[in-house]
Amino acid sequence: MVFFPIVNILNKKGLLIEFSILSLKMRYTGTYLGFLWTIIEPLLIFLLLHTVFTGMNIGVKDNFAIYLLSGIVFYHIFTRGTLAGMASLRENIGILKSINIQREFFPVASTLTISILAIIEITILVGLMPIFQFVPSLTMLLIPLPVILLLILILGMSYLLSIIHIYIKDIQTIWSIIVQALLFVSPIFWYISDVSGLLLNIQSINPLGQIIELNHQIIILGQIPPILDWVYTSLYVLAILFLGYALFKKYEKKITEEL
Amino acid sequence: MSNAIEVKNLTKTFSIKTIGLFKKIQSSKNKNDKIIALNDITFSVKEGEVVGIIGHNGSGKTTLLQTIAGLYTPDSGNITVNGSLAPVLQIGSGFQPELRATENIMIYGMLLGLSKNEIKDKITPIMEYAELEQFSDLKLKHFSSGMQSRLAVSIVFQLNPDILLLDEILAVGDSDFNKKCFETFISLTKKNKTILVSTHSLNLLPLFCDRVLLIDKGKLITISSPDEAVKKFNDLMTSNKN
Repeated sequence: MVFFPIVNILNKKGLLIEFSILSLKMRYTGTYLGFLWTIIEPLLIFLLLHTVFTGMNIGVKDNFAIYLLSGIVFYHIFTRGTLAGMASLRENIGILKSINIQREFFPVASTLTISILAIIEITILVGLMPIFQFVPSLTMLLIPLPVILLLILILGMSYLLSIIHIYIKDIQTIWSIIVQALLFVSPIFWYISDVSGLLLNIQSINPLGQIIELNHQIIILGQIPPILDWVYTSLYVLAILFLGYALFKKYEKKITEEL
Repeated sequence: MSNAIEVKNLTKTFSIKTIGLFKKIQSSKNKNDKIIALNDITFSVKEGEVVGIIGHNGSGKTTLLQTIAGLYTPDSGNITVNGSLAPVLQIGSGFQPELRATENIMIYGMLLGLSKNEIKDKITPIMEYAELEQFSDLKLKHFSSGMQSRLAVSIVFQLNPDILLLDEILAVGDSDFNKKCFETFISLTKKNKTILVSTHSLNLLPLFCDRVLLIDKGKLITISSPDEAVKKFNDLMTSNKN
């Protein structure tokens, strides 16, 4: 056994892919719009917030629509990814109680499922740019980097939340409140240059906010973010990944009996 | 002949937890309650040997199989397993109700260690063995529990592990399927497979078991010939009644 996320289940690549694709299929089974919800859900949040903020006409700048939409897409991927990751062990109680498989398989499979959805959502975001008469710059080619950081963050949080969820079910409610708060404390509909005090302090320790800001610089400003911003965010996200993984490994032994 | 399974001084306890803040305060005097599920159990199973496990409900049979399968971590003691192992515990519980039968076979088979191509080739034989060919595209949620059990047993019988851990699979499906299942089980015992099987079907034990392990309240009472173990079990039942 190697103490490194994912490495121990690399021999189960085929199963991971199959499991993730079927999980995706199950997610929308029984709904009328099925897979279309992947697109509709963030678009509805976008329309709501866009209507409110352009109507209020406070601090709306050029390309606000794309600024808002890109923030919402990242927030939506994070929210859905961490909620699914948190439930990944409990949802597979039947398998865990009958087959001996590495427990970390489930948060990883959940993150893989979300990665497929993330690619679709980001593609749609880019596809919508011409509608808002937005001309992307070459820095757009860097988009995969914040997306990778976001997926690493989701994996780290999935390890952490899924293991806490085994022992303390209240985390489900607590995390739902936290992700709602993240919508307001992340630079999704406000600009970092316009805020100060507590909100700015929260932003400096908010990994999702950091990733969204990197993405805004790449897309909206057409700039390559400073190297220090990349290093800070990457180290922060990796620290969460390893912390989540360490806690997961420490408490995974009793998962079956706690379930 | 070497040992396929070695269990030494195995002890497993479960904590009784009180969930809820107010309940916790109320029951704070009784904290640290524990149930001893397995108490210092030692035995070994030789390669190719078929060993039955008998005991009352709640005696520790399933916990023993689950601990050998690696689903539970022992409190103390050691378990050594030499060879590939396929556990069939809580039959069919790993199925996904929203997926079709063939998709479930794919996932279940891959979880049990088969490659995608291996399990693809086995889908038809599995559905045929389970006598569920016409339901291949039906979601599992529409299957009866008997149909789900037949499917799970069929998947396991198509695998080729060195060691099988079976929990109560000899009473699956209707009488015809049960008979077919029993015949397959007997054919497996002749293929030098090591099998550890828990059952309440005491009359069947002498037909396929080399030895039988009797457990009561988590303690190993005996590991002996089927007739002797069944006799001790009956004596135990009589003494418990008295």
